[in-house]
Amino acid sequence: MLRTEALRSNRRRQNAPIPKIAFLAGWVALLAIIPVIYILIRALAGDTELWQRIIQTRLIKLLSNTMLLVLTVTAGTTLLGVSMAWLTERTDVPGRKIFRWLLALPLAIPPYIGAIVHLALLRPRGGLLSQWMEGINLPSIHLPNPTGFWGAAFVLIIFSFPYVFLLSGAAFRSENASYYESARMLGRTPWQTFWQVTIPAIRPGITAGALLVSLDILSEYGTVALLRFETFSSAIFVQLAGRYDRSAASILSGVLILLALIILYGEFRTQGRAQFTQIGSHWRPATLIHLGKQRKWGFLALFFTVLVSFIIPMGLLLFWSTQGILDNQTFTGMQIGSRGLASFIFNSVWSSGLAAFLAVLFSIPIAIYVVRHPGKVSRLFSRLSQVGYAIPGVVVALSLVMLVNRFLPFLYATPLVVVMAYVVRYIPQAVRSSESAMRQLSPNLEEASRLLKRNAIQTFIQVNLPLILPGLLTGSALVFLSSLKELPATLLLRPAGYETLAVRVWIWSEEGFYFQAAPAALLLVFISIIPLYFLLRREAIFKQ
Amino acid sequence: MKLEIEKLSKHFSGNQHPAVDNITFLMPAHEILSFVGPSGCGKTTTLRLIAGLERPDQGIIRLDRYIISDAHTFVPPEKRNIGMVFQDHALFPHLSVFNNIAFGLRGFSKAEKKDRVSELLKLVGVEPLAKRFPHVLSGGERQRVALARALAPEPVLLLMDEPFSSLDAHLRLEVREQIRNILKVSQSTVIFVTHDQEEALFMGDRLVVFNQGKIEQIGFPETIFHDSGTRFVAAFMGESDFVSGKSNPTGFQTELGLLEQQNDYSTGTDVEIAIRADDIDFQVNNQGNGKIINRFFRGAFNFYRVELDSGEIVHVYKLHTEIYHPGERVMTYFNAGHPLKIFAR
Amino acid sequence: MFQKLLPVFVALTLISSGCAGTTSQPDPISFNENGNILSGKLIVYSGRSELLIQPVIAAFQEKYPQLEVLLKSGSNSQLANTLLEEKTNPQADVFITTEVFTAHALSREGIFQPYEPTGYQNLPDAFKADDASWVGLTQRMRVIMYNKDLVSQDELPASMFDLSDPKLKGQIAAAGSTNASMQAQIASMIQLVGQEQTEAWLTGLLENEVTFFGSHSDVRKAVGAGEFELGLVNHYYYYLQLAEGSHVGIIYPDQAPGEMGIISNATTAAIIQGSSNLSAARAFIDFLVSAEGQKIFAEGNYEYPLLTGVALHPDLVPTDGLSLAKIELAQVVDHFDATFDMIDMANLP
Repeated sequence: MLRTEALRSNRRRQNAPIPKIAFLAGWVALLAIIPVIYILIRALAGDTELWQRIIQTRLIKLLSNTMLLVLTVTAGTTLLGVSMAWLTERTDVPGRKIFRWLLALPLAIPPYIGAIVHLALLRPRGGLLSQWMEGINLPSIHLPNPTGFWGAAFVLIIFSFPYVFLLSGAAFRSENASYYESARMLGRTPWQTFWQVTIPAIRPGITAGALLVSLDILSEYGTVALLRFETFSSAIFVQLAGRYDRSAASILSGVLILLALIILYGEFRTQGRAQFTQIGSHWRPATLIHLGKQRKWGFLALFFTVLVSFIIPMGLLLFWSTQGILDNQTFTGMQIGSRGLASFIFNSVWSSGLAAFLAVLFSIPIAIYVVRHPGKVSRLFSRLSQVGYAIPGVVVALSLVMLVNRFLPFLYATPLVVVMAYVVRYIPQAVRSSESAMRQLSPNLEEASRLLKRNAIQTFIQVNLPLILPGLLTGSALVFLSSLKELPATLLLRPAGYETLAVRVWIWSEEGFYFQAAPAALLLVFISIIPLYFLLRREAIFKQ
Repeated sequence: MKLEIEKLSKHFSGNQHPAVDNITFLMPAHEILSFVGPSGCGKTTTLRLIAGLERPDQGIIRLDRYIISDAHTFVPPEKRNIGMVFQDHALFPHLSVFNNIAFGLRGFSKAEKKDRVSELLKLVGVEPLAKRFPHVLSGGERQRVALARALAPEPVLLLMDEPFSSLDAHLRLEVREQIRNILKVSQSTVIFVTHDQEEALFMGDRLVVFNQGKIEQIGFPETIFHDSGTRFVAAFMGESDFVSGKSNPTGFQTELGLLEQQNDYSTGTDVEIAIRADDIDFQVNNQGNGKIINRFFRGAFNFYRVELDSGEIVHVYKLHTEIYHPGERVMTYFNAGHPLKIFAR
Repeated sequence: MFQKLLPVFVALTLISSGCAGTTSQPDPISFNENGNILSGKLIVYSGRSELLIQPVIAAFQEKYPQLEVLLKSGSNSQLANTLLEEKTNPQADVFITTEVFTAHALSREGIFQPYEPTGYQNLPDAFKADDASWVGLTQRMRVIMYNKDLVSQDELPASMFDLSDPKLKGQIAAAGSTNASMQAQIASMIQLVGQEQTEAWLTGLLENEVTFFGSHSDVRKAVGAGEFELGLVNHYYYYLQLAEGSHVGIIYPDQAPGEMGIISNATTAAIIQGSSNLSAARAFIDFLVSAEGQKIFAEGNYEYPLLTGVALHPDLVPTDGLSLAKIELAQVVDHFDATFDMIDMANLP
């Protein structure tokens, strides 16, 4: 009811002269889109010979590798996420309330850490599993090869599924019993009801989640580099790290961005239809499905997923960390130049924190403009500001290096460039949650405040801000979490002496120094759990 | 204080017709003026133009001597000293009742705020709720707090935008009466918007009837009801049915027979006659001019819906003892006892 | 609630601007003639892996405790790119590479400034820039290491070109094309035996299902663990693995007369043109080529120190006992693009 009211009165505002907020919003949209424009220009400016060479040698292969990975992981996360959500929300499987939390925890583990664990366990002759099997004299079963396509796909599915899990969980939870019951009354079996009523109702949300996962996979660098499966992202990184000329990297980046923009556009189209919190006044929760004898299979499925996605990785990290602490070489090995572990933690936290703050700050004008002045222009600005979803970290780094050095040299080689990269890349998350928070506010509140003698700015500070603050904090938690885990841009942009936990974990693991990498990885996960906990608590699905 | 509206217009892009079309009227102090009309008629837009929440395309709005809106001036809402109560009360969820009411009291000292807020809490009858938050209040309580909040800074004009439409039906009557009393006690100058005819007739000292952006009629409730200026007002406000007729020197020839009534129409003009259920009567008659479609039991009366042979629908009141059944043919005739309103076709 | 968060945000902004301050350009130095009091920051870009450069940096820091050494490690080419980007806005003071080609290329771009450290004359001319813009620090050999448990003496390959022997299919580990030493080897081979033969060698490696790792540490550990029979590495990786107790052996390939010889290279150090802490940079270069510094490389990393008179690690084979390939430095650098092209066309991982 409140939503249609807001729509009705918002329609009236189309006639006002260009509101001042539009300019602020326009600036933000411009800042968000500059890196993309720059890359596309550089890509198109590359000479045709280079284009030809790239197309000949690698483009097809990269394209097929990347798309194959994206499709497989998206399908896998959807299957896993939806089935886990269904088990924990719609059935009477034991312990489902705890599982709802446990299954979300892998979000605190960056996928490349998962890849490190995966590699360490499954390496054919040097891996922990095979060593353990030799130790207890088991005949060596042929272990799956941890590297390559299947290894990368497996790791990415295991650590990305929570996103789809949370979204479909919310959808299942808001399912209205009356839809389900009317379907049954009209002669559908439970199974048919599931496919013909439940799934179509939650499909928009799943689609949105799946598309966002696929954008994530396009950007993914650490995992595919470690597991040696070449995708666009890792190829661009190799070009940047291994060649003297940026043109090839720009060209590959251009293609990657176009690919990602297509997916992002698709996601924008489905976004409007993903309604989950439209809980009307006569809503009743759907009744649980009794699994009966199948309960144990449900439980095992849940348990096994948690085991593989959280317990085993954390267990291994703890094991290495304790080994590392016992070996006193470890801490001296953690010194890089004159910087130690404390500075890595500090850098991780303050850069992610600042990025979160700036991202939310910049998202506010966009949110106000879109929600209070809906129309083609504001929607365009909103979409432009979300282009960051489509720019992988590697590409952000590439464009910022070129732009900052040319136009903002005083910022160059400071940690602020790293923060800029985080903001450009993750501001879409802040924009979405700010917009959503603004939408919940009835415009009447602002009007009432104006009539009670507050001008526009005072109204924003005294009325809007306190009420949208929870939404803003959600956005900042999301950006904080993402920035903590970020790898490729930080690797490329960091000034000398500036290391974050993510970078350290990566470099130490690359060299095989698991005793140093593990404590850093553990710290990274523990720090990540804080914003994650905050996010999960706010999710409606956890309100009993 | 006097509100003057002169040739006010507002056109929203994308709509064919203007929302507010060249409106002019005056309003004295201490009056409750009801804006009434069907949805989309322009009453709420006019209200919002007065509040300053929309900018007019043309026209002048004057409050006492001051021009608050014309081609060169636009006083922003926070400077107009106008209060507003919204349909969904719009109480600030993060502030207590006390702080909501105190919100408009800028520049007051703490003691002054306390005094004024207590005054208002007493006026609207929500003293025990001062420390509570809006979400625990009932619908009626919320509207009263919204009223208190709007009145607190002593605005020269109070605007109310369908404030009771979100309340349950039975509550509405009770709250309505309480609010009207409060408004009269505080001697407020009020513009009250509603789409409910009965509410408008009850609340307003005078009514303004809107239709498609224009004012159909301004007048006292009795005038609007009994002496409707246009066919629209008669239909919308007057609970009228319409019967067509042709004028002649003595009156009008209609399906229901000859209506003897002095008139200035030239002979042969087609007209419509506005009738109410108490202006006509019927007898059961197989050769009649219509048949009963439905009977509505109204306690002391029965309310009959009759379809005339021409297809027009009319309504007739009968005592509760007189019971007739759907399908029965009847002869309907005039039985008004006073002149009826005539509108040219 | 907003009021409570405001001080947090303010604090964050202050901290961040403070941090931005601390990692921007270093403070002016105060410098004692004896070189004992150096302060400020020394920014070192290192293409060498951190493990291998950290000991010498730590020793240098001990000597000059007032000085703050900030290290940025990455690959040679990544850092070279960065230095080229930074040419008009130099950030670094010293650049350390794992091979000479990058140093030479950058020197031609005018990125470095010349400096003759103490003991300059005791360094071999072959590993110094003509204009003293860079100096070699240590020498390294491209060798083949093997796992003694998996391969017997008579099965050992004797030449790089034996690595495409189908007998060894799937049994070889090497570093991938992003590794500077690997790139340097390919570039050297193009100059030594020509493009066709090098290309054939590369193709042969791919057909022999060589597994390409990200770094040599991975390679040596894999060979040490018995995952692979053979590994193509720099010599000191063999010694590092041996020191961990693995049962491994080393082959110095192409030693027969008429054969290519061992492909060698050197790590280098150079001072960046526009460095803001010149005295510290010079002191650092001095330290790297001093007996003290060279000893750390020799004993800790099993490298071949270039300063005459510094003792090799006892386990190492002295260079005069080895047949080394004759590489024309300038020619290789001129044709380095050919190396990248070849890598791309061959689709080397």
